[in-house]
Amino acid sequence: MGKTDAQFETRTSSVLRLNRRETLVVRIQPSRRWGFPSLGEIWHYRELLYFLVWRDVKVRYKQTVLGAAWAVLQPFLTMVVFSLFFGRFAGIPSGELPYPVFSYVGLLPWTLFSQGINQAGNSLAASAHLVTKVYFPRLLIPLAAVLALVVDFAIAFGVLLGMMLYYRIVPTSAVLWFPGFFLLALLTTLAVGLWLAALNAQYRDVRYVVPFLTQLWLFATPVIYPSFLLQGVWRVLLGLNPMTTVVEGMRWALLGVGAPPGRMVWASVGVVALLLITGLLYFRHTERTLADVV
Amino acid sequence: MGDIAVRAEGLGKRYLLGERLPYRTLRDSLARAARVPFRALTVRRREAPSQGLPASPRYLWALREVSLEVKRGEAVAIVGRNGSGKSTLLKLLARITEPTQGWAEVQGRVGALLEVGTGFHPELTGRENIFLNGVILGLNRAEIRRRFDEIVAFSELEKFLDTPVKHYSSGMYVRLAFSVAAHFVPDVLLLDEVFAVGDHAFRQKCHHRLRETLQAGTTVLLVTHDPAVAEQWCSRAVWLEGGQVRADGPSASVVQAYVASQE
Ligand SMILES: Nc1ncnc2c1ncn2[C@@H]1O[C@H](COP(=O)(O)OP(=O)(O)O)[C@@H](O)[C@H]1O
Ligand SMILES: [Mg+2]
Repeated sequence: MGKTDAQFETRTSSVLRLNRRETLVVRIQPSRRWGFPSLGEIWHYRELLYFLVWRDVKVRYKQTVLGAAWAVLQPFLTMVVFSLFFGRFAGIPSGELPYPVFSYVGLLPWTLFSQGINQAGNSLAASAHLVTKVYFPRLLIPLAAVLALVVDFAIAFGVLLGMMLYYRIVPTSAVLWFPGFFLLALLTTLAVGLWLAALNAQYRDVRYVVPFLTQLWLFATPVIYPSFLLQGVWRVLLGLNPMTTVVEGMRWALLGVGAPPGRMVWASVGVVALLLITGLLYFRHTERTLADVV
Repeated sequence: MGDIAVRAEGLGKRYLLGERLPYRTLRDSLARAARVPFRALTVRRREAPSQGLPASPRYLWALREVSLEVKRGEAVAIVGRNGSGKSTLLKLLARITEPTQGWAEVQGRVGALLEVGTGFHPELTGRENIFLNGVILGLNRAEIRRRFDEIVAFSELEKFLDTPVKHYSSGMYVRLAFSVAAHFVPDVLLLDEVFAVGDHAFRQKCHHRLRETLQAGTTVLLVTHDPAVAEQWCSRAVWLEGGQVRADGPSASVVQAYVASQE
């Protein structure tokens, strides 16, 4: 075991340190009720994180008949349905963009988010067999669930490129901001996922709420409709939802339409930071007794 | 810590009973929180029967005031009746759950085998599961790769390496799981009644492997029901009763006393 790997301190139940003989000594004691998960420890266990992600991706593609095509079909078919009902029949405007590409670019991060909070939310309860038999930082479980969906995102992203080619949409230099919005999408998913995972391990009725929450959240995010339809206080409320910034930001960055999200970005970053910090605290709090209750 | 591999001082674990957490609902908890300000007003009146509310939590001390020291390379059997806290002790030392009281220090890499095949996934092949299970046990990828052939040879499952383990018989499954575990040589090995599996020949092989592990200087804490196993493998035994150490000493005498108490 490398020296640097072992030389981190955790605020959790166990403090690792090296003794004079350079072997690892683990101290086991009751931990504080509130604190943050140790990032050093997550880093120490990065190989396990990699394998948990690898397992999730592999199993998902083995279990579905369609395999990796599923990652594409889900947002694509949703886009087709949305285009028919909302774009054509209901006549919802999509600005300068054709409705299909307008909704698909929104569905990309939306699918990541909705699947991510569902899978991260169920992840602890679904990993009871691991949690009660081996030690590792439990944060790896929801983290792996979210990261595994990045692969789906990448595959579905390929279809967007095809659509852009078809509609002859050339990205502007705004495309440089894309990684930022992608990161915001990941962090939003992780923050909400952590909250749901911890709540779900504590309370048995949470998982019935999640599908409903996801549905409400979709309507509070400009995936189906453009945000310019809303004005005044509604616009501000919409801006507090970080997924609004993600969807609008990706539309702007990839397709070069609309205004850059501006001040809304900072509101979203603030909201996500708050959710993430409280989510980590609450997660750590439930982690202490997790193995006893799942 | 010198040559002490495991040291525990006043170690205790309290579980919550009655209001077992998984039976809680968010709805009840929120409703209870919302009632708090009103309860102050109504408490003078007749105490309403608490139909919706679960019984007040009761606690169970699964382990209490356990202190022990295990020297490096020592093999210690943990014996005791069902529910005496044996698994809880291993779970605390493996950091799976946190103690409520006291502390422990463990020197070196800890390997916990509380069950075989932890993390095996039925959809993955034997080869894939060797890696997954190995990493979960605490091996790194390079170590697994280095020992891969040995693991496969030990399991005698060469032909089924690329078959998903959901198609394995239970015997094959256990063999693969044991083979991975047997090639993980931690400094402190925690074994929880994972002995009586596999056919006779395979069991012999596992015993042989355990002997090698012991000779390599690994410290072993072995939970077992079987007095013969305790005496065969361990020079020392700790007898737990009601979460406390009832006796600690040479395995022959401790195990005898334990067996006598059972009759
Ligand atoms: N997660 C838990 N929640 C509540 N009680 C538990 C939990 N795990 C174990 N117990 C209780 O703690 C006691 C000790 O259990 P355990 O350590 O598994 O005993 P052993 O391994 O010696 O049979 C038992 O009474 C058991 O019911
Ligand atoms: Mg037990």
